[in-house]
Amino acid sequence: MARTITYMKAINEALDQEMSRDPTVVVFGEDNVGGHGAAGEMDAWGGVLGVTKGLYAKYPDRILDTPISESAFIGAAVGAACSGLRPVAELMFVDFMGVCFDQIFNQGAKLRYMFGGKAKVPMVIRTMWGAGIRAASQHSQSLYSIFTHVPGLKVVVPSTPYDAKGLLISAIRDDDPVIFFENKVLYTIEGEVPEESYTIPFGEANVVREGDDVSIVGVGRVVHMAQEAAERLAADGIQCEIVDLRTTSPLDEDTIYETVEKTGRLVVVDEDNPRCGMAADIAALIAQNRFDDLQAPVQMVTAPHTPPPFTGSLEDLYVPSADKIAEAVRKTTGGKVRARA
Amino acid sequence: MTTTAPPDQASKQQLLEWYRTMRTIREFEERLHKEFATGEIPGFVHLYAGEEAIATGVITHLRLDDYIASTHRGHGHAIAKGCDVRAMMAEIYGKRDGLCHGKGGSMHIADVDKGMLGANGIVGGGPPMICGVGLSAKIRGTDQVGVSFTGDGGSNQGTFLESLNLAAVWHLPCVYVVENNGYAEATSVKYHAGAGTDIVKRADGFGLPGVVVDGHDFFAVYEAAGEAIARARGGGGPSLLECRVNRYYGHFEGDQQTYRAPGEVEELRRTRDCLDLFARQVTSAGLVDAEELRRVDEEVARLIDDAVADAKAAPEPDPSDLLTDVYVKY
Amino acid sequence: MATVSVGVVANPASGRDVRRLVTGASVFDNAEKGAMVHRLMAGLGAAGVDRVIMMPAGSGVSQSLQRHLGGRTGHLAAQRLPELEVLDMVVHEDERDSAAAVRAMAERRVAAIVVLGGDGTHRVVAAHCGDIPLCALSTGTNNAFPELREATVAGVAAGLVATARLEGDGLLRREKQLQVNVNGDVRRDSALVDVAVTTERWVGARALWRADTISEAVVTFASPGAVGLSAVAAAVSPVPRAARHGLHLRLAPPERAPTVVTVPFAPGLVTEVGVVQARRVEPGQAVPLTPLAGCLALDGERELELGPSDRVTVRLAEGPLVIDVDAVLARAARQRALNGSARPRAPTL
Repeated sequence: MARTITYMKAINEALDQEMSRDPTVVVFGEDNVGGHGAAGEMDAWGGVLGVTKGLYAKYPDRILDTPISESAFIGAAVGAACSGLRPVAELMFVDFMGVCFDQIFNQGAKLRYMFGGKAKVPMVIRTMWGAGIRAASQHSQSLYSIFTHVPGLKVVVPSTPYDAKGLLISAIRDDDPVIFFENKVLYTIEGEVPEESYTIPFGEANVVREGDDVSIVGVGRVVHMAQEAAERLAADGIQCEIVDLRTTSPLDEDTIYETVEKTGRLVVVDEDNPRCGMAADIAALIAQNRFDDLQAPVQMVTAPHTPPPFTGSLEDLYVPSADKIAEAVRKTTGGKVRARA
Repeated sequence: MTTTAPPDQASKQQLLEWYRTMRTIREFEERLHKEFATGEIPGFVHLYAGEEAIATGVITHLRLDDYIASTHRGHGHAIAKGCDVRAMMAEIYGKRDGLCHGKGGSMHIADVDKGMLGANGIVGGGPPMICGVGLSAKIRGTDQVGVSFTGDGGSNQGTFLESLNLAAVWHLPCVYVVENNGYAEATSVKYHAGAGTDIVKRADGFGLPGVVVDGHDFFAVYEAAGEAIARARGGGGPSLLECRVNRYYGHFEGDQQTYRAPGEVEELRRTRDCLDLFARQVTSAGLVDAEELRRVDEEVARLIDDAVADAKAAPEPDPSDLLTDVYVKY
Repeated sequence: MATVSVGVVANPASGRDVRRLVTGASVFDNAEKGAMVHRLMAGLGAAGVDRVIMMPAGSGVSQSLQRHLGGRTGHLAAQRLPELEVLDMVVHEDERDSAAAVRAMAERRVAAIVVLGGDGTHRVVAAHCGDIPLCALSTGTNNAFPELREATVAGVAAGLVATARLEGDGLLRREKQLQVNVNGDVRRDSALVDVAVTTERWVGARALWRADTISEAVVTFASPGAVGLSAVAAAVSPVPRAARHGLHLRLAPPERAPTVVTVPFAPGLVTEVGVVQARRVEPGQAVPLTPLAGCLALDGERELELGPSDRVTVRLAEGPLVIDVDAVLARAARQRALNGSARPRAPTL
C-alpha cells in the first residue's frame, strides 16, 4: 500500500523497519535523540531536523546520542561494523566531513582491501547536504564527489521519498560502507511511498522522464529542477530525457550510455562545485566511450567555483536552476551539429 | 602460611609461553631489521623490539573474540594476538599468501578472524574503532573487550582524546593502552606533550581511571592490564594504561636515530631489556631453568628462519588481485 | 650571613599506580605537584630561605612549576622567592633519582628537605637523608607517613627550621624506621611505616592491596586514622607514632583468624583482615620473618621477590627527623619570629 509521506518520514520509516527487523542495526549521532542529561524531555530533537524522532521510544537501547566528536563516533561506526553490528551513524552536515574524514576514507573504505578481503565494514553514514536554506558556506555543500572518488565507499543520493526509503534499506543491508546523502531542502517534499519494506538496488539509475532530443543526467535536488526545465522545453518542442543517477558509486554507466546513444545530446547537472565533480566525471566518460554518439558538446550545469554564499539572492544564483538547465539544453540543440555516424 | 592463592600463580608452562611470545616478537623484529637493510622488503617497516612485554602482558588476558587495534608499529601486537608468524612474514614481503594477500604490508598487517583489527598507517586511527568494538559488545550483550594501542605521539591526536571521552560517556568495555616509548618519530615526549610526560592524567580529564606501569616489566604490565581488562569485561567501564618503555630501533627502518644520545640504545639493551628481566625473575624464582629458556630461543630462531625463507620463496600476488576485495559486492 | 638552602624532592611518579584501577584512588595531578612546589617556595622565601635545590622532576611537575614561576605578576611579584636550582644529575625515572638527589643535597648541606610524595618516596628519602630534617608532604596514595598539609604553610615552617630562627626543642619528631636485612646483607632498604610479607609472587605492579595475601607484617606505628597496615594494627593494638615501640602482626584469612578487623586498606577499599597475633617490637629488636615464596613489601609496595630459602629480618631503629609543622608555627607565633621579615627584600627573579 503506497501513500503520500515526506522524504524525511520515508527515511525515518526505513530506519524503523530495519531496526525492527535486525537487532544489530544501531543508530547514533549528535542529538539523534536529544535531551540526555538535561532536565526536560527525552527525544527532544530526534535529530536536528527531526528525522530520527520517535525511534528512541521504540528502540531506547539502539539509538544513541554522541558527544560532538565525529572522529571518535564515525570511527566507532567502522569498528562496530567490523565486530558484529550494522551501525547507521549520522554525520550531521556533510560539511563536517573534515573532522572525521580519515576514519571514512582511510579506515572504513580500505579495511577490506588492505586486509586481503577478510574484513567487511557494513556501515551506513547518513549525512545532510545541499544549499538553499541560507545556512552559508559551512552548512550547504554537496561534496558527494569527494566520497565517490574513494574506492571502497558507496555513495547514495536519493531525490524522492520513494528512493530515499528503498535506498536506505538497501544501504543498511549492504555489506560495504555506504554514505547516504539526504538533501535538506528535499526533507519536506512529499511522494508516494509503500508502507511495506522494499529495496532499491545500487548502480541503477532511474529514467524519470523519457525523451528523444536531449539527455539530462543529474542527482539529488537538481532532478526536480530538470523536470521543471523539461516541462518548459517541451512547450518549445524539445523532448528531454531525465536520468536520476540515484547512486554515484556504483554508477549506472550503462543507462548513461543508453540515453546518450538515444539522444546524442547530454546536459549533466550537479549542485556541487565544478572541479573534479560528478559532472566532469560523466562528461569524461561520454567523451571517451560515446564520443561518436554526441551531436553536440556535453554541457555541464554546476555551482560556480565558490563556497555557498549566505545571502538568499546570492545563494539562489549559486545553485543550478530550471532556467540554467533549460539554457544548457538549448546550447546542445543550437550550435554546431555533427551528423550521426 | 595460610593465605589464599594469589591470582599470579603461573605455571611453568604458562611462563614459558609468555617467554616464547616475547622471544618470537623479538626475533621477528631483529630479523626484519637485518633483512630490511638488504632492500628486499618493500615500503615502510616499524619495529617493536624492546616493547615486547607490553604486547604480551596485555594481550595474554584477551580471548580470541576480543579485538585489538594497533599502530604502525604493529608486529608485536599481531604476534601476541595469535596471528600466524609465517603469514605475517610473507605479508611483509608482499607475497600472495601473506596474511593480507600482499594487499596491506607491514603497516596494515591484520587478521580480523583473530580479533586483530590491524596495524594502522594513520597515527590515532585505531582508538575510535575500538570504541566501536566496545559499543558492539554492549549492544549485542557479550562480554567482549576492545583494547587499543597508541604511542606517546598518538596520544596527542584528537582521535585518541575523543575516544577516551566517548568511551567514558558510553561506558564502554575498552582499555586504552599508551605505549610511551619517549619518542614521537624524532621528537621527544618531553617536547611534544604539553603537560610533560604526564599522559596518564589525560584519563582523569575525561572521566576514566589511569595507571602508569613500567613497560619493561612483564609482570607489572600483566598485573595492571589484568585489572583493567577484567574491569572492562565486568562492566566497570574503560580505563587508560600508560606503559613506560623504550624502543630499540628507529621510528621506521632506515631512521638513523641521531636524535637519541650516543649509547642510549646500547645502555637500554644492557640494563632494561624486558626479556632479560623476565628470564632473571623466573629463573631466580626457581620456576624455570635457563636451559628451558634456551630451548625456546632455539625453536623461535628456527621458526623465524623458516618464515623468512618461505616468504622469500613465495609467489607474488596475481595481477588480477589488484582489483579484488575493494567491495564485498559492487 | 651564610646561605640557607632547602632541598625539594617532588616525585613525579607518586600517585598514579595500579591502585587507580583496583581501589578508589585517583591520579595525583603532576601539575598540582608543580603548583605545590611554587607555593612551598613562597613560604620558604617568606621565612628567609635563600635557595631551593630541587631534584629534576619531569612528567609535568617542572613544567607546571615553571609556568607558575613565570606567571608571577601583581601582588605575587612583590613576594620574595628563593633562588631555584635544579640539580644537574642523570635522571633514571625511578627511585635512584630520589636517592641520588638526597645525597647531593646532603653534600650541599641543605638545612632541610621538603618531600612531596607518598610513603614510597619518603622511604627512599629517609634511607639517605641522615639527620637532615624532613618536611613530609603527601602526594601519594595511602599517605600513612606524610601529611596532607597546605604547601605554603609547610614552606614557612620548613623555612623557619632551616634558618634556625626558633629557640627550644620539640620542633622535630624522631620517626621510627624498620631496617631490612636479607640473607645477612644489611641492605640500605628500610621502611617508615610497614614491612610486609605477601604471597604475591612477583613485584609486578608493586602496590599491595590484596590484604588476604599478607601473612605477616611489622609496623612502626599503628594509627587508627591511617590507611593500610598501620590501620590494621591499630584496630587490634594502637601504637602512637610518638611511642618508641612498634608492632609485629601475623595475619590469616578472616575465616581462619581469631580476630577479624574491618579497616580502610586503601582509598575506597574497606576490607576485612584476619589477625592471628600482635606483639610489641622494642627499639633495636630484630624480628625474623617466616620464609616463603612471595614478595617483601615496604611501605605498601612490593619491592623484592623472595624464595623459601631467603631469610629476612626486620629491626626497629631510629628513623629520620621530621618537622612538626604545627609545633613550629606555634613557636613562631609565641616568639614573634615572623614579625617584620629579618632579611632584606631581594629583587624577585
